Amino acid sequence: MLSGCLRNNATAQEALYNRFSPRMLGVCYRFAKNREDAEDMLQEGFIKVFSQMHQYRNEGALEGWIRRIIVHTCINVLKKNKKFSDSVDITNAHSIHIREEMIPSIMQAKQVVECIRSLPLGYKTVLNLYAIEGYSHKEIAFMLDIEESTSRSQYTRAKSMLEEILIRKKIIQKPKKKTNFLGAV
Amino acid sequence: MIENEFYEDEFEQLLKEKADQFSMYPSKRVWHSIYNNLHPSRRWPSVVMCLLLIGSLMLIGYLNTSKNSITKQINDNAAGQASYEKNNEPTGSQLTIQKTLLTTFSRRTQKPTYTYGNAFEDVIPGEAELYTYTVVKSNRPAPYTTAEITDIKLTPDVAAADNNTNQNIIQAVDTYIKSNQIFADVAVYTKKGKSNTAKSTDKNTSVDVLTEGGNVGDISSITKSGITQTSTSKPLDNTYETGISNPAESPAKKSVIVKTTSDKTGLTSEEKAWIENYALQNKAAAKKWKGHLGYQVYVTPAVNYRKLTTNSKGSATPFANGDINNSISQKPGFGFETGVGLNYTVAKRIQLKAGLQFNYTNYNIAADETNHPISTTILLNDPSTGYSYSAARTSTTSNSFNTTALQPITLHNKTYQISLPVGFAYRLSSQNNVDWYAGATVQPSYIFDGKAHIISSDLKSYVSDRSSISPWNLNLGFETYMNFKLGSYNLQVGPQVRYQVNSTYKKDIALIEKPYAVGLKFGLTKGF
Repeated sequence: MLSGCLRNNATAQEALYNRFSPRMLGVCYRFAKNREDAEDMLQEGFIKVFSQMHQYRNEGALEGWIRRIIVHTCINVLKKNKKFSDSVDITNAHSIHIREEMIPSIMQAKQVVECIRSLPLGYKTVLNLYAIEGYSHKEIAFMLDIEESTSRSQYTRAKSMLEEILIRKKIIQKPKKKTNFLGAV
Repeated sequence: MIENEFYEDEFEQLLKEKADQFSMYPSKRVWHSIYNNLHPSRRWPSVVMCLLLIGSLMLIGYLNTSKNSITKQINDNAAGQASYEKNNEPTGSQLTIQKTLLTTFSRRTQKPTYTYGNAFEDVIPGEAELYTYTVVKSNRPAPYTTAEITDIKLTPDVAAADNNTNQNIIQAVDTYIKSNQIFADVAVYTKKGKSNTAKSTDKNTSVDVLTEGGNVGDISSITKSGITQTSTSKPLDNTYETGISNPAESPAKKSVIVKTTSDKTGLTSEEKAWIENYALQNKAAAKKWKGHLGYQVYVTPAVNYRKLTTNSKGSATPFANGDINNSISQKPGFGFETGVGLNYTVAKRIQLKAGLQFNYTNYNIAADETNHPISTTILLNDPSTGYSYSAARTSTTSNSFNTTALQPITLHNKTYQISLPVGFAYRLSSQNNVDWYAGATVQPSYIFDGKAHIISSDLKSYVSDRSSISPWNLNLGFETYMNFKLGSYNLQVGPQVRYQVNSTYKKDIALIEKPYAVGLKFGLTKGF
C-alpha cells in the first residue's frame, strides 16, 4: 500500500484513506467547529499526507505520522481562520456558560468528545493537543503562537471546565476522598 | 497530593482513551476532492461523458429544428405553384418524371463536381400526386454560390438565341434574388405533369441528368441527352424542360418558371412573387439525412439477476471456501431501462444506433434487522499486495441464511445509471410491414447513485456501504425485436439482455457482483 502511494497509485491511496480516514476525522472533529469544517481539515490533511508520503521513513507507526500531519493541518486551518482571536481569555473563563444542549449523550466516547468540543476554542485546542495528542506546552506554545504559560493556564482551566461538564452529564462521578472517580465510567 | 496527581493522570488517560476510540466516517465528497486534487488528469472520463451528452443533445436539437418536412414544403407550395401553372398552362404533350427530385449543386472546385440528393424519394414514397421535377439552384453564400449560376454556358447544339435568352433569365433571377437578399435555394425549373406515365424513370433520372452533364454549364446537354431514360421512359427532349423559356424548341418545353420580357433584366411581378415565395419556402434542409435517420423512445421492464463471486486472497474467512451464493439468501428484483436514441440506416439492412439511457437495477437480499448496531468486518483487498484484509464496519442487518428470522427485511442492492448506448441493428428478415431485427450495443455507464449491501467477512451480517459502488462501468446489450410499421411510426417489441461487464463494487472490495437484466423492450421510432 505504501509503495503504491509512493507511485501515486490511486487505488493504493484510496485504500490507505479508507483505513485511516475514520479515526483521523475523529481527530479533526475535536478541533473543528462542525462536521463540515472537520471534513475540510481531513481533506487538506490527506492531500498533505499523500504529497509528503516520500518523507515517511518507516521509523514509526504510519498512523502516528499521519496523525501528526492531520493535527498540524487542523491547527493551521484554525490559525488561518483567525479563530484564536475569538478564544476566551483565561481571566474571563469563569463567566463561560456551557449549555446543556451542546452536550449530547449517545455513546460514551462520543459523549466525551462532544464535551471536549463544547469548550471554548482556545481551551479545547490546548486540551486536545496536550492531553490527547501528547504535545508539550512548549510545543503547543510554538504551534499556536502563544506563551507557554498561557498554554498551561488554558489547559488547567479547560480541564477544570471539562470535569464540571462531565460530572454534570454524569459521565464521571465527582471524586471523593481516597476514591477513584472513574468507578462509574 | 498524591491523590490529586493520580486523579489528574486518570483524567487525562480517560480523555485520551475515549478520544482515541472515537471515529467518524467521512462523506464520499472528501475522497473525491482528494482524488481530484491528486489526479487532476483523471477527470477526463467525466469530461468526455459531458461532451458526449452535450453533443447528443445538440444533435437532437439541430435535427429537430431543421426538420423541414419536404412533404410539407410541397404542400405549402402547392397553392403557389398551382396559381403559377394556371397562368402558364403547358401546351403539347409533356412527359412526367415520376418523382419530385431535389438537386443541389455543390461548391465548385477546380474540376466542377456536383452532388445531389433524391431527398423526396424516401420521404414521400408512392405519393402519386407529386409529379414534379424540380431543379433547384442555391444562392446561399457558402458552400453554394451564385457563381455557379452565372457560369452556366450552353453547348453549341442549342441555338445562339436561346443561349442568350437562357443566360439572361438565369442572370435576371440571380440578380433579383441577390437584390432581395433571398438566401435560399431557388427553383429554376419546376413542373407538374401527368401522373400515369414514365413511372419507371425512377430516381435514375435525377442522377443521370447531372452526372452525365458533368458541368454546371452544360444545360444543353441536360436538355438534349442528359437524362438517361430507363426502359419505359420516353425520349428526353419530350420529358425535360430546362426551365428556361425556349421559343425555338417544341411547345412541350414551354413550361417555365420565369418568362423573358422585353426588358432583359426584368421579371413580372407575378414571377417575382412566385420566386420569392418558392425560395423562402424551399430552404435547404439536411436532406441527405432524411429517410435514413429516425429517433426512438423506448422502455424495457426487466428482471435483474446477478453473478456474485469472491476475489479474496490469503484469507481464512469463509470467502475462500466454495460458492458464496450458497451462503446467502437472495432473489432477483425488478428494474428497468428507458431512453431516447437515434437510428441511422447505413445500409439496406444495417442501422447504427446511439442514444442516452437511464438504467435502474435492483436485486433483493433476504436479511434480518438487528436490534442494535453490531461490529463486524468486510473483506478488502490491498491493491499493492493483492492480499485481503478485514476492515471494521458496523451493521444493523444480519444474514438470514445463518440466523433465525426475527425481524426479516429485504435489502435492495440497487443502482441508478446513465448510459450512452452505441451499437447497431441488423435486419434479419422482412415481410409486409413487419421486420425482424437483431442488435447489440455497448453502453458506457455512470452510476450516480445506489445502495450496496455487502456481506461481511464472516458471512453473518450485511454492511451498507454506498461508497463501495464503482461510479464507472460498462454494459453490453443484446436484443432481438420485431419492428411493426404503423404509418409514420415504427413499433418495436422484443426481448433484451443487458450484462454489466465490470463489478458493481470497486476493486478493493473482495466481492465481485455482475448484474444482468432480462427484459422486454418496447420502442417507438419515427423518421425525421
